[in-house]
Amino acid sequence: MTDVLALETGGHGGLVERPTTVAEAAQLLRDSTGSVLFRGGATKLDWAGRVHDPDLILDTTDLAGVLTYNSADMTASVRAGTTLVALQDHLASNNQWLALDPPTAMTGATVGGLLAAGDSGPSRLRYGGIRDLVIGVTLVLADGTVARSGGHVIKNVAGYDLAKLVHGSLGSLALVAEVVVRLHPKPATSITTSGSADADQATAAALALAASPLEPAAVEWISDRGRGQLYVRNDGTPQFVEATSRRLIHLLAGLGITADPLAPEDAVKAWQNHTAAVLGTQDETVLRIAGRPSDLADLAGHAFDSARKAGVTARLVSSAALGMHTVRLSDGPAPAQAQAFMALRERALARGASVLLRHRATELDDLVDPLGPPPDSVGLLRRVKAQFDPAGRCAPGRFQPWY
Amino acid sequence: MVLTQAAVSSRLHPIAQSLSDQLRRHLGPDRVITDPTRLRTYECDGITGYRVVPALVALPESTQEVALVVEACGRAGLPFVARGAGTGLSGGALPVADGVVIGLARMRKILDIDVVNQRITVEPGVTNADISKAVAVHDLYFAPDPSSQTVCTIGGNIAENSGGAHCMKYGFTTNHVHAMTLVLPDASVVTVGGQGEEGVGPDLRGAVIGSEGTLAIATSITVRLLRKPEAVRTLVADFPSAEAAGAAVSDIIAAGIIPAAVEMLDALAIEACEAAVHAGYSLDTAAALVVELDGPADECADGFRVVQEICVSAGTTHIRIAADPEERAKIWKGRKAAFAAMGRISRDYFVQDGVIPRTRLAEVLARMQTMADEAGLRVANVFHAGDGNLHPLVLYNGTVPGESERGEHLSTAIAELCVQMGGSITGEHGVGTDKACSMPKMFSEDDLAVMKRLRAAFDPDGICNPGKIFPTPRLCGEKPGPYRVHPLEAAGLIERL
Repeated sequence: MTDVLALETGGHGGLVERPTTVAEAAQLLRDSTGSVLFRGGATKLDWAGRVHDPDLILDTTDLAGVLTYNSADMTASVRAGTTLVALQDHLASNNQWLALDPPTAMTGATVGGLLAAGDSGPSRLRYGGIRDLVIGVTLVLADGTVARSGGHVIKNVAGYDLAKLVHGSLGSLALVAEVVVRLHPKPATSITTSGSADADQATAAALALAASPLEPAAVEWISDRGRGQLYVRNDGTPQFVEATSRRLIHLLAGLGITADPLAPEDAVKAWQNHTAAVLGTQDETVLRIAGRPSDLADLAGHAFDSARKAGVTARLVSSAALGMHTVRLSDGPAPAQAQAFMALRERALARGASVLLRHRATELDDLVDPLGPPPDSVGLLRRVKAQFDPAGRCAPGRFQPWY
Repeated sequence: MVLTQAAVSSRLHPIAQSLSDQLRRHLGPDRVITDPTRLRTYECDGITGYRVVPALVALPESTQEVALVVEACGRAGLPFVARGAGTGLSGGALPVADGVVIGLARMRKILDIDVVNQRITVEPGVTNADISKAVAVHDLYFAPDPSSQTVCTIGGNIAENSGGAHCMKYGFTTNHVHAMTLVLPDASVVTVGGQGEEGVGPDLRGAVIGSEGTLAIATSITVRLLRKPEAVRTLVADFPSAEAAGAAVSDIIAAGIIPAAVEMLDALAIEACEAAVHAGYSLDTAAALVVELDGPADECADGFRVVQEICVSAGTTHIRIAADPEERAKIWKGRKAAFAAMGRISRDYFVQDGVIPRTRLAEVLARMQTMADEAGLRVANVFHAGDGNLHPLVLYNGTVPGESERGEHLSTAIAELCVQMGGSITGEHGVGTDKACSMPKMFSEDDLAVMKRLRAAFDPDGICNPGKIFPTPRLCGEKPGPYRVHPLEAAGLIERL
């Protein structure tokens, strides 16, 4: 299970270990010292600060597999390295799913990695994010301590919720080794309704839909330079989604948006394009903004303005009703992308939104501070880090200079 | 003998006396309580079996005042316990002897309502129901709905991660909080969470929610509001047995329907509820299911038809459909009054809150019946059938020698049975003082040790609601209530000071 091929490390020179069980992972950590990078599908290795040259890469590729699946109770537990795609395949025979559709699933994201990164997709609007779907977790701390929290039942308030603590921690506190999730029945049908919309219309549509009783499963807006396309998905029984799509078209027409239901094959294509639009390409700078839904038009306007001023191209994918935006900056030299990034981040932070730098060319690392100003809870974050990882082994640099 | 305020104060421990003097200077004399009679109001929460009178109660009215009280406690080395309405059912707000209770009931301002983004910011003393009331005019509401919602506060909901009858579909408090302002045990004030659905870094907000007041005090809370569903349909279906009712629940869920709520009451529970509020439940049935669907009108109507068909094939003997909101409210009034109504059929009772995988319901009900028979006691069942959260009520008569002990023993055994079945000792009431000693049944020493690391990060000195959640030798070696000789004491191995 050990290999030292530099090729395998994706640029990281350290030892790569692939434990197959929680006990093996714990042993590996107990028996080693030095810095360690936990790696699942390697789809988010450069989110936030970069981890340089870890002494050990603990790869969860072989820490995989569905451990329990109780379809009647709609719960499952998996080893953390199980890919979301593999889990969904496993559940499909019972017409169930883990109600998550992050674009990174298409490039191999694992359940553990999704939790550690707090990654989610368009369906978060209806089903919640991974933080809302995880009901239990097993962690391995850097000193090899194995700790569980939560359990196998949906409703449970016994003890602290450590799954929430590691959500968004990007491997900086502990290894996510096993995850228990609640499942949902797969919707009988989905209809995606789509129409052209500018930023103001998209904002108005998102707010109007939230205020309506239509309960869409996803409201997404994809745009590059101003004009864009709105996609609204409704899940449910065929009768219901057809009726809802009609009501939706009426509602959107009132906002000046001409929308139509997409044929099933066109809808599949549209969501594939959406996935590609969120993932971006290698040499782009990709950031994620989360704020208030009503700020969509303002932030989109600033994204395009900042890009134009810096001489780069901005593309935007918004989960409009959630107030979450993925912005991709491309087509310019690193300093220009850095300039656009900094300007947009400043604006987003001023609006009270959060900004996570997801991807960027390595040249950008010298030009931007990936995390931005620390929150007022930074002292507390440092104390949590010191308690969970006193030796500072886990993902050093990930949250520098916060902790 | 009547004691004057001065005489009472002079009986305080010198450290508490100094703290009291200091807090009176800042908060004024009305908002610092040391009078023994008034202090007794704070000696317990909804679990009245545990009682401890605190040294003093402070009633701050702002974040700054909470921080000031916390800082003063830290300097004096006195533990503090935050308290909302005191409706908790696990002794989570039980005071610490010689410690301070920080009563947040005066912090009941609504700070901001953001209608278009569907959120509201409130102080911790605002009641759960008042949040929904404040935004009802906008067709919005706050989803978590614990049975005590007209009284319990959002601060308490944060501490306990409260759910309610509708949490199967809508989740718990933790799924509905955007951001909080916290006063940490070192008196610093921080914000966790934010305006967006996701932030950068570990989710401290999620770690604090449900921590039972042991990590921090939330002084300002922004919660998500939901658009009221277009349609709500409610029915009560009677079944000849709890097993048949349980099978109907499984079939409903297997059909891909996620009901807003599914509640089950057994004959004893129905008898008590009917005696108390006359909600119209059938008195001649072994079990009744309350099923509620909500959502867009078409979807709701479809699902409701399917639910009725399933109830019929599962052998329902009678279906009552709420004709209007008034009838629905009456059905819910009956269900939510269940605990309080037990007084009608039993002098005393213990409430449990265990959770089991729903599919093991029939098995657990049968085991519980056997255990109750063996103990010679009755157990009434009212529970959230959709998510397997049981609320067995162990009925006993405290004036009969030995019954209280047998009841308590049975109650604990039921909670631990839930763990054996792959469930939890608590679904919504919290661990608090009441279930701390059962935690090792559910978690290993390492699990608990790692949870304590989190506690140490927030509260290194252990002054923030100490003695809750985690088992301690003192708590778990002794029984609450009237003094009883500890076995080790009886054996002459330890002495009581």
